[in-house]
Amino acid sequence: MSVTQTQRDETGHASGTKCWNCQAPSAGVHFCAACGKIQPLPTGTDYFAFFGWPEKLSLDSAQLESEFHKLSWKLHPDNFVRASEFERDLSLNRSSELNDAYRTLREPISRMEYLLLRRGLRKEGTTKQQAPPELLEEVFELNESLDELREARAEGGDLAALREPLDAAQKNFQEKLEEVDAELSQIGQEWDAALDAGADEAKQQALLARMNLALNRRSYIRNLVASVQKELADA
Amino acid sequence: MGRVVGIDLGTTFSLIAYLDPQTGAPKCIPGPYGSTLCPSVVSVDEDGKIIVGEPARALLLTKPERTIYSVKRLMGRGVADVQEELKIFPFRIDPAGRNVIRVSLGDKWFTPPEISAFILRELKSWAENYFKEPVDRAVITVPAYFNDAQRQATKDAGRIAGLDVLRLVNEPTAAALAYGLHKQKRGYVAVYDFGGGTFDISILKLVSTTEGDIYQVLSTNGDTHLGGDDIDNEMQRRVREKILQLFGVDLANRPEDIQRLRQILIAAKHALSAQDSVMLRFNVSGGKVFEELLTCAEFEKWIEPIVARTMAPVRMALADAKLTPSQMEEVVLVGGSTRIPFVRKTVGDYFGRAPHCELNPDEVVALGAAVQADILESGVKTMLLLDVTPLSLGIETMGGVVAKIIPRNSTIPASAQELFTTGVENQTGIDVHVLQGERELAKDCRSLAKFQLKVPPGPAGLARIEVKFLIDANGILQVSARDLRTNAEHTIEVQPSYGLSDEEVERMLEESIEFAEQDFSERQVIEARTEAETILAATEKTLAHPRASELATDERCAIDDSAAQLRAAMSGSDYKLMRERIDALNQATMHLAEILMNGALQTALEGKRLEDV
Repeated sequence: MSVTQTQRDETGHASGTKCWNCQAPSAGVHFCAACGKIQPLPTGTDYFAFFGWPEKLSLDSAQLESEFHKLSWKLHPDNFVRASEFERDLSLNRSSELNDAYRTLREPISRMEYLLLRRGLRKEGTTKQQAPPELLEEVFELNESLDELREARAEGGDLAALREPLDAAQKNFQEKLEEVDAELSQIGQEWDAALDAGADEAKQQALLARMNLALNRRSYIRNLVASVQKELADA
Repeated sequence: MGRVVGIDLGTTFSLIAYLDPQTGAPKCIPGPYGSTLCPSVVSVDEDGKIIVGEPARALLLTKPERTIYSVKRLMGRGVADVQEELKIFPFRIDPAGRNVIRVSLGDKWFTPPEISAFILRELKSWAENYFKEPVDRAVITVPAYFNDAQRQATKDAGRIAGLDVLRLVNEPTAAALAYGLHKQKRGYVAVYDFGGGTFDISILKLVSTTEGDIYQVLSTNGDTHLGGDDIDNEMQRRVREKILQLFGVDLANRPEDIQRLRQILIAAKHALSAQDSVMLRFNVSGGKVFEELLTCAEFEKWIEPIVARTMAPVRMALADAKLTPSQMEEVVLVGGSTRIPFVRKTVGDYFGRAPHCELNPDEVVALGAAVQADILESGVKTMLLLDVTPLSLGIETMGGVVAKIIPRNSTIPASAQELFTTGVENQTGIDVHVLQGERELAKDCRSLAKFQLKVPPGPAGLARIEVKFLIDANGILQVSARDLRTNAEHTIEVQPSYGLSDEEVERMLEESIEFAEQDFSERQVIEARTEAETILAATEKTLAHPRASELATDERCAIDDSAAQLRAAMSGSDYKLMRERIDALNQATMHLAEILMNGALQTALEGKRLEDV
């Protein structure tokens, strides 16, 4: 591990829109069109914009990968071994940003989470763990079954009989997971259509709020399924 | 500027390679004993002279207490980490060592990076002798599963050896690069690298783009303490037990016996890669002889649990890449332990295809490193490696829980930003603890570093410091911080949990020069002088030959003149000038050489240099 005192004022916070080398206008692009030098990364660059795309949720994964490879070829620190320290630093920052962007956009779920994070609906690394109201009753039943199973295991009771309601519950929640995935995909399409139609802020916010709720429900159900699977495997 | 090379700094053997500009192919450089393998063994004699490689390996038997091997196992580790190794390895470790292990070697203590630097210096001298030019930059390979501290220790070793480390490349990735050159294949490739002390599995995707080939690592897994050493130790454990039962002799306190037995067992292990059984014969000091036939079947039973341990990382790497064994286009075997037929069979059965082992499994990593070194050095990029970080990076949060900020198998360079603030009024420091690993709790992960963000006293939550964690292309973490309120760089002092400070590395670099053999140019001068003396003596002898009178006067004068000029150069220390004049004298004596040959011999030897006649 090493500590660097990177010049964040220059690399991370490009205030001007001019090329640091030749002063030609060069806002937001990877390389200056005039002199070809790698450019600093503007603060808070959006991962979609990094690839030159709008904030749309439907992404062709083959196209994303091919763009990732193209940009990797240009931005990777391998290209800057003999460049100035300043340019080496720019390459390090830009290529790490490229990799972060690719990693985030590659999966549909993390792509949505990122959009919500950008739009202020989510905080980094937090997921709500409250049970969605419409699931309360089923979750309550499930927890009872799980308790009975744990109890029976501790006391050496009949496990086979107890597995049945759990198997059924797991199947039920697995179906719900598929439902919520379908719903998310539907909201995603609506979001993309709204962007294309130039929908106003209120419409966008409404869609994002629905997306956020669905994502929370998904994450909750997923954890539930995982814990039931674990209990069944242990039993 | 000198030459650039690729180095495989291995547990058992180390190698150095370069890209031959004529053929465009990478090549390993042989040492003074003709082999390209330099045993990773360092010894120190009574005068404090450092001995590395083959002669040091010989000293393992006679001077085990002054000799150290498998030092790679100690790289980047703390005293508490290596208690298991100490039960088997005869290392003496400074109990007062803090976050860096210090090993006893002769009358001194050395850190693992210093001992590794001796090996690197030896290899460097091989290359310098070969090129007759200094070597000052290198790509060094590391196991893919090495953590931050182990990587930093390797980089430090390079620095101490006087090398500018252009890049650390993961061993399986380097091997894939060497194989890719060889095969020109596309698709998914699994590299199974079972070496002397470490095991790695990497899953790669090979892609052809319009610009060139991309080697994208999708996932990697492994065990930095699993290798041929473990097989040797298991053999040793079993045989020592037998000796104890048979003769009531415990070898535990007989380092010479242990080393001798170890070498016999290693030889037996090698033999079993080619034959069905081998006779173990060991003279226990005190006159008793242990003798037993070891069959391949029995050997396989012994090592089965060790080989099985490699398969869990293989499964995890495939799961992380979201691929199945049958999707692999190629399976590549790397590392000496993959010579064992049982290992090949186990891997082949799992993937359902015969693994590739056309390239020498000992050399392939160094060859790949040489290719990458050339790409970095020449600026001509024909291919691109996209590697990943093997372990998740996290920070400790409330209750000792780790929050993962960069997941494992993220393509590097990778980064994450975290915002830190104060929790109580007038708090003047925020503690940050950085960790690496997959476990939930900080105590189960590898501590990388701790530091404190210093903030002026004020209300809780007022301070806003953004810390950027960036894993560079070497897989080494860099940390920087910025005060969001002032937008100014925030100075932090990071104390690595394991490893050397920059000052320590610089001091070791200075000290290592004392240990190093003569300086490169000095050695060149000596060699050039020796060569000059040889050719001068040969010239004189030939000129005294009766047939030398057949030479024309101007030819005779040219020879005398060239010889005088060479003598003049010899009194100086310009080895390049000496070499030029050696060549000139060779040219001048060409005709003389021809005259001295007669008949059929003359036609056969035409064009030969005088000294060769």
